[in-house]
Amino acid sequence: MTQPTPAPTQASTSPAQFPVAERLAEIVGERHVLSRPSELLVYNSDGLPGYRRQPRLAVFPGTREETVAVVRLLAAEGLSFVPRGAGTGLSGGALADDIVVIGLHRLKKIISLDVANRRATVEPGVVNLRLNKHVAPHGLLYAPDPSSEAACTIGGNVAENAGGPHCLKYGVTLNHVLAITVLLPSGEVVELGSKVGERDGYDLRGAFIGSEGCFGLALDITVKLTPKPQTVRTLLADFTSIDQAAHVTSAIIASGIVPAALEFMDGPTIRVVEDSIYAASYPRDAEAILLIELDGLEAGVSADLEAVRRICLDGGARNVKVARDDAERMKLWQGRKKAFGAMGRLAPHLIVQDAVIPRTRLPEILATIRAISEKYGVVVCNVFHAGDGNLHPNIAYSADDPAESERVHKAMTEIMQACIDAGGSITGEHGVGLDKMGYMEAIFSESSLNAMCELRAVFDPERRSNPGKVVPVHACKEWHAVPGGRLRTGTSSLTDAPEPRPVEAEPSHPSAR
Amino acid sequence: MSTEAVVSAIKESGSTRSSLRIAGRSTWLDAGRPVRADKTLSLRHDSGVVSYVPGDLTLTVRAGTPLSEIERVTREHDQWLPLDPYGSPDGTIGATIATASAGPLASSFGLPRDLLLGLEFVNGRGDVVRGGGKVVKNVAGFDLSRLLTGSWGTLGVITEVTLRLYALPKADRTFAVALKGSKKEVASLVRAIVMSPLTPFALQLLNPPVVRALDIGEHPVCLIRLGGNEAAVDVQLRALSSLADSKEVDTAVWDGLRNLENGAECVIRISGLPASFREVSAAMLSDEYPWISEYIDPVRGVLRLVLRAPDDAAASEDSVLGIDPAGRPDEHVVFEKLPGESWDGIPSAVSDSLSQGVKKAYDPHNILNPGILGD
Repeated sequence: MTQPTPAPTQASTSPAQFPVAERLAEIVGERHVLSRPSELLVYNSDGLPGYRRQPRLAVFPGTREETVAVVRLLAAEGLSFVPRGAGTGLSGGALADDIVVIGLHRLKKIISLDVANRRATVEPGVVNLRLNKHVAPHGLLYAPDPSSEAACTIGGNVAENAGGPHCLKYGVTLNHVLAITVLLPSGEVVELGSKVGERDGYDLRGAFIGSEGCFGLALDITVKLTPKPQTVRTLLADFTSIDQAAHVTSAIIASGIVPAALEFMDGPTIRVVEDSIYAASYPRDAEAILLIELDGLEAGVSADLEAVRRICLDGGARNVKVARDDAERMKLWQGRKKAFGAMGRLAPHLIVQDAVIPRTRLPEILATIRAISEKYGVVVCNVFHAGDGNLHPNIAYSADDPAESERVHKAMTEIMQACIDAGGSITGEHGVGLDKMGYMEAIFSESSLNAMCELRAVFDPERRSNPGKVVPVHACKEWHAVPGGRLRTGTSSLTDAPEPRPVEAEPSHPSAR
Repeated sequence: MSTEAVVSAIKESGSTRSSLRIAGRSTWLDAGRPVRADKTLSLRHDSGVVSYVPGDLTLTVRAGTPLSEIERVTREHDQWLPLDPYGSPDGTIGATIATASAGPLASSFGLPRDLLLGLEFVNGRGDVVRGGGKVVKNVAGFDLSRLLTGSWGTLGVITEVTLRLYALPKADRTFAVALKGSKKEVASLVRAIVMSPLTPFALQLLNPPVVRALDIGEHPVCLIRLGGNEAAVDVQLRALSSLADSKEVDTAVWDGLRNLENGAECVIRISGLPASFREVSAAMLSDEYPWISEYIDPVRGVLRLVLRAPDDAAASEDSVLGIDPAGRPDEHVVFEKLPGESWDGIPSAVSDSLSQGVKKAYDPHNILNPGILGD
């Protein structure tokens, strides 16, 4: 085990205050343990800075062995912890309320790349885009591409079952992970899935993906790589009505053509982006644009491109522009991927939802969202993965204005309810975390939530890994059987995270991603 | 039959500690280990479409719906569920998901886990549980849908599933390439086809007994299914012609391949790194044992062995095929069908403590398909 020389600028922790800090420092080196409140400020939120929780301390193991040692020490002490990647999540999922953060960003080795078998094994801290740059020279790509790809880690992607614009055609993280070496909260290491073939038995790899850090953490992840498509073509169709764009989206999906991506931006979003440094030459006077990408074999793409152009024009598009080259393509994408960042121009805080609706309900739900926004006098911007029906209605506002905050939250709650009533889901890719936990009972029955609690209890019987997230504690029957309804926390004063109220937080503006 | 009926059957079994054999239409009951059960709970009559909005490309059906019925219903709207497990198309979707059975289309459209959006099941205590949802993208809650897929009815009885559909391709054509020449030449041709820009719907290497059974020639064959719009299929066909001579065969040949396994006494699936299958495929595609059908998916990395004659199968299991039940570190051997006594000594895939923990939580009385996974 390596013991890096302590950096002189880092103050050592006070053993009397928290003895485990010293022992963690023995494992990872003093400079990789933070315990001063001022140092921990960076870790008190994720991409939804409206939720803030102060960790007790943060530890950053540099190797697999150190990570195992850290988790075993916490297990021996009965201490709870939250695994954390790059902190770009949008659900408040990586927050640690007076417990230990285990930051995994130092575990960033690409362990192996097998070009012939199109797979790679990476440590959890490897950044999504870095993996893609690493495999690109071999004509391969790693398909899931969350908008935060330049910062987010594969470990975090596994925890959240991350998606991205191109998951319309290529599928989400779940569809691209072959095997995970998991470090259970007990400190035991298990191999889920298979690096080499297809195992039989229960799909515990599938169960682990999207478990939001509640089942333990990944020590390494073996992913499937996809051959780069021969041709990629990107279209921009602009509309003078939202309704037309929504109907065209449904028509493209119904035509059977599976675009690589099909993204929707409404007028207010277009104008904010065009005013920002991410300006992508979108038509400012449009009420909606669709960004449509087709990929595959040249001949097939050309045929589909013509069909999609025809559907757009027949559906009332004013213009359909096809990007001439990669530079123009990247510019069109830049505006879309940085749209949330651009929202910072409107107001200091931003609330973003992630509901998914059946795709045929899109025109109706967008009309409902508009009616709700008018009712509450708020401006809802819509920029989302239309092809999947994955909405991201967002409202820029000032959390310092209590009256405005109340209107914003009421509007968002009504929008979510409309999506649930349409047969949708509360989250398509951001995860439940703290942010959407209050809605879980609206879509899952008591027995379904209990089954989730039971699954979690198999991986983490003491519920020490990311406690208090995803499933409301009171939904777990077994929980009530634990004496006192609380878990032992060893010798320290660390306690389990309390269950939050769903609307207690004021999510503010996420940084540009 | 309804979810309520499944609940009462399970609750009754739980209270009397009697065990249940979970069955769909009983077309695949010879798969898996022998089950020690007091009663059969059949979902044969719990069939039909619950909701189907073609524009959403999603379909919710009761678990007892036969695959052939799903094909019929979706075809009316020029759509399909690209899931073609081996065996009879009269098998049910519930059994297909429960056993995670996949066929040749899996190399391009994915395994059952990839096509499943959500499900309803009844666990061993009689609780009705839903996992996932009815929309195409969903990360709400822990993933019970994946957990149940491939659990062989041992964690719960699947009563309803929601699936992702695709539009039927405008063109769907199948071509056979005869694999002649030395082993080296065959391996090199297979490698060239797999690594080419072709994006086939399905690609299988068939040994001569399979080729003869399907009546498409004498030599080993590489069977390629090309689908998509006309332009995409044409360009792929030209690319294929530059690699090898091919002849078009009726796409119904795939149904023939699926049906080969009906009534087989012994089916073994070996999976491993795809590249290794390309290299050794020539040697594997032997004609030495006419009672052994072999087909290889060199994209997915799966070899299936189907033994016709039960006596020979039992005798040849170790000696002829040299298959170690535990597999080698670089491959997984899954026995799908074996004569009853041959199961002895084959390790269970759910003996690890996590799997046992899940089983205990979901079926505490061990009344659902006891023994089928060797637990």
